[in-house]
Amino acid sequence: MSGGETITLTELESDALTEIVNIGVSRAASNLRKMIGDQVLLSVPSIEVVSQRRAARLISEREINELVAVRQDFEGPFSGRALLIFPEENSLELVRAVTGGELSPQEVLDIEDEALAETGNVILNSCLATMANMLQRSLTMTIPEVLRGDGNKLFEILEGGEADGLVLFLYIDFAVRKRDIRGYIAMLMDLPSLQTLKELLGEFIERVVGNDG
Amino acid sequence: MMAEASLSTDQVSDRLRAVLAAAGASGTWDWDIVGDTLHFDERFADLYGLDVEAGTAGVPTETFFTAIHPEDRARMKIAVAGILGGAELFSKEFRVQAPDGSVLWMHGRGQGHSDGSDRPVRFTGLLVDVTERKRTEERLRIAQSAGGVGTFEYSDGFATASVSTEFCRLLGLHPARTLPVRTINGVVQEGGSLIPEAEQASDLLHGEFCIVRNDDGVQRWIARRGEIVRDSETSSYRFIGVIYDVTAAKEAEERLRELNETLEARVEEEIAERQQAEDSLRQAQKMEAVGHLTGGIAHDFNNLLTIIIGNIDTVIRRLDSSSDPRAKRSLDNALKGAERAAALTQRLLAFSRRQPLDPKQVDVGRLLAGMSDLLTRSITETIAIQVHSAADLWSIEVDPHQLENAILNLAVNARDAIGGSGELTINAENVAIAAGDGSPSFLHPGDYVRISVADTGEGMAPETVAKVFDPFFTTKEVGKGTGLGLSMVYGFAKQSGGHIRIESELGVGTTVSLYLPRAGSGLDELIEEPGIAVELGKCNETILVVEDDDDVRDYTVEILRELGYRVVEAHDGQTALRLFERADQPVQLLLTDVVMPVMSGSELAERARALQPSLKVLFTSGYTRDAIMRDGRLEPGLDLLSKPFTYTSLAAKVRDLLDRS
Repeated sequence: MSGGETITLTELESDALTEIVNIGVSRAASNLRKMIGDQVLLSVPSIEVVSQRRAARLISEREINELVAVRQDFEGPFSGRALLIFPEENSLELVRAVTGGELSPQEVLDIEDEALAETGNVILNSCLATMANMLQRSLTMTIPEVLRGDGNKLFEILEGGEADGLVLFLYIDFAVRKRDIRGYIAMLMDLPSLQTLKELLGEFIERVVGNDG
Repeated sequence: MMAEASLSTDQVSDRLRAVLAAAGASGTWDWDIVGDTLHFDERFADLYGLDVEAGTAGVPTETFFTAIHPEDRARMKIAVAGILGGAELFSKEFRVQAPDGSVLWMHGRGQGHSDGSDRPVRFTGLLVDVTERKRTEERLRIAQSAGGVGTFEYSDGFATASVSTEFCRLLGLHPARTLPVRTINGVVQEGGSLIPEAEQASDLLHGEFCIVRNDDGVQRWIARRGEIVRDSETSSYRFIGVIYDVTAAKEAEERLRELNETLEARVEEEIAERQQAEDSLRQAQKMEAVGHLTGGIAHDFNNLLTIIIGNIDTVIRRLDSSSDPRAKRSLDNALKGAERAAALTQRLLAFSRRQPLDPKQVDVGRLLAGMSDLLTRSITETIAIQVHSAADLWSIEVDPHQLENAILNLAVNARDAIGGSGELTINAENVAIAAGDGSPSFLHPGDYVRISVADTGEGMAPETVAKVFDPFFTTKEVGKGTGLGLSMVYGFAKQSGGHIRIESELGVGTTVSLYLPRAGSGLDELIEEPGIAVELGKCNETILVVEDDDDVRDYTVEILRELGYRVVEAHDGQTALRLFERADQPVQLLLTDVVMPVMSGSELAERARALQPSLKVLFTSGYTRDAIMRDGRLEPGLDLLSKPFTYTSLAAKVRDLLDRS
């Protein structure tokens, strides 16, 4: 941890962020629906701000097998990296769902990374764009990239040997009808970015709740 | 038509209400986002204290929040904002304040509806009273955390199990409602799978597991209790159970078991120790008894030998050159025999701890260095002798001659044990014995110098070792040893306040260790014994000889006169004291036997010195008792001549004493 410094969201801030992400994933689901042509259900996300180390642990506790992640960096009033993470065994299933199940297994393998990057882009973009929109700020995003490894590896790569940063950790159940697909969204931000996010959440709450806050 | 249709609509909504009520619903709502109007049903109206008609007509959407508990209101506004912003799912639990003032927990489930261009248009939902469930959950949560009990439920064939927060806490896992079975079983170190396998034979889930908590790595014991329930519909199994920490109980159990185990060992040890102490005591008593016996015999024997040697001595000195040389040879042989007998009684006295000792500060290192010639001469060349002395050896206070004797004795024993070729090691080192630290129990706590003589000889069986200190016990061939060597060393060590210890193993060798106490602060100089030479007396030197044995007295007086001293004699203490009182010439030296009837030699010496403090006293004795000895040592100002004494030894001792200032 960077000097043990951390940031905690109040219950309301956490609720607000959850709702904003909820809107984001709803958009993402709607977009996915259009891609897959089948029903996509999403659970209400749960949110935690944890250290990178803890995030890696959280992932490896839940997922013992190898993981695949789609990564996109974002920049704006708050900057960081967004990761869409799911178990590797889900990834081909997701590709098949996205490609409509008309491809041969070999073809699925061939376009796996491309399809994953595209799917990740849809989901992460929906989330981040919604966040920017709801918080009345704008963010720019890089091109998605596919990573593989266990939880530790995914978060260590991003750590880059620097002090342990903070991770906004979201758990969302994606359920594509008749397919077992689940995933997580993680957003890595440094302390100043999280501080900014916290302030923007405060403004949002003020707008929504008014006197009742 | 219209009326019928209207009736029909009422009927439909009535039926719908009945279904919802049966499902536990407490109301439904329909939030028109575009029109900013809220519609609700009869139950919702009851709950909010509103008119049913208003629900149909529509009210401002802000009404939705009016009955929500103030503490939950902000949270709910945010949640609704999410839906208004385009979120799809709404699932929240919150409190509602009913018009009668009661607070109910509601679960609101809702759905955001969008138009073709993803714009949110409607928000519909259903309220379910979950107050009872909330209370039950609360009770269960408190029961779990207060009791430290975690629950789990697992359906056979699935990869995850439903668990409680306390369950996660007990295993050191991040709190979650569901956990992969592999994650849970991954913390188990010993005891099998915490989430049971399908093949579980018993219907009960009793088991104990050693786990390593995931968060802090601490090892704990976890007990599992539960049941296997067969799902009647799917005929698959469900495992429902609880876990709790039993580390404390396990540890207590372990401690108890250890205590029981060590108890047995401790009792055995205690018994062995007692056995050893009893053996030591028996041995000591035996040695004491044998010592008394040999001491007594040696004492009488010495008196007899004094007479024999003295008289032979006198006859030899009176023989002149004209005498028959055969007579002279016979007398010499007789004298030699008598002297050998005297040497034997001396050894017996040494064993019985009644030999007078002349303790001095001894530097063991120097003493051992000085003995090297003697040792190499006594030991055959096929045996390698090594002598090690620690550099900072403490000095000890013992009779140096007796110590040399003892070491030589041990070395010769070692030589005989080795037989052919081997190694003999003499080692001297400091040993501090602290009280009760498991050190040899035969020693009193304190500082000792340990001199050990180790050989690589044939060794001895335990039965033999038990007897080695007994006088006349020998393993040597008949005629090769007296069986008194080790007995003497034993007596010497004991009399010097120390101890002797023997360790032997057949075929390996024997080590005999002498423990001699470290000397006190007294720093007597190491005095080299002066050479013995016959020195004559002067006629102005008067010696009073007191001896109850007439023959011994006659012999003694004769020698002293021959040496030129003036001699007065008495056969007991009283006579001697009377002679003191009326002596026309002062007496310089009192020569008295120690053991006499009525008045002992030491009592006489004490009373005589009271009359004449400058008086010098020389005791003669076959052995000495506590009368003149303190811890086997002579009191200062007194000297002792062992019986049997010869002409030369008497002459030297008397002269030495008289010349002492």
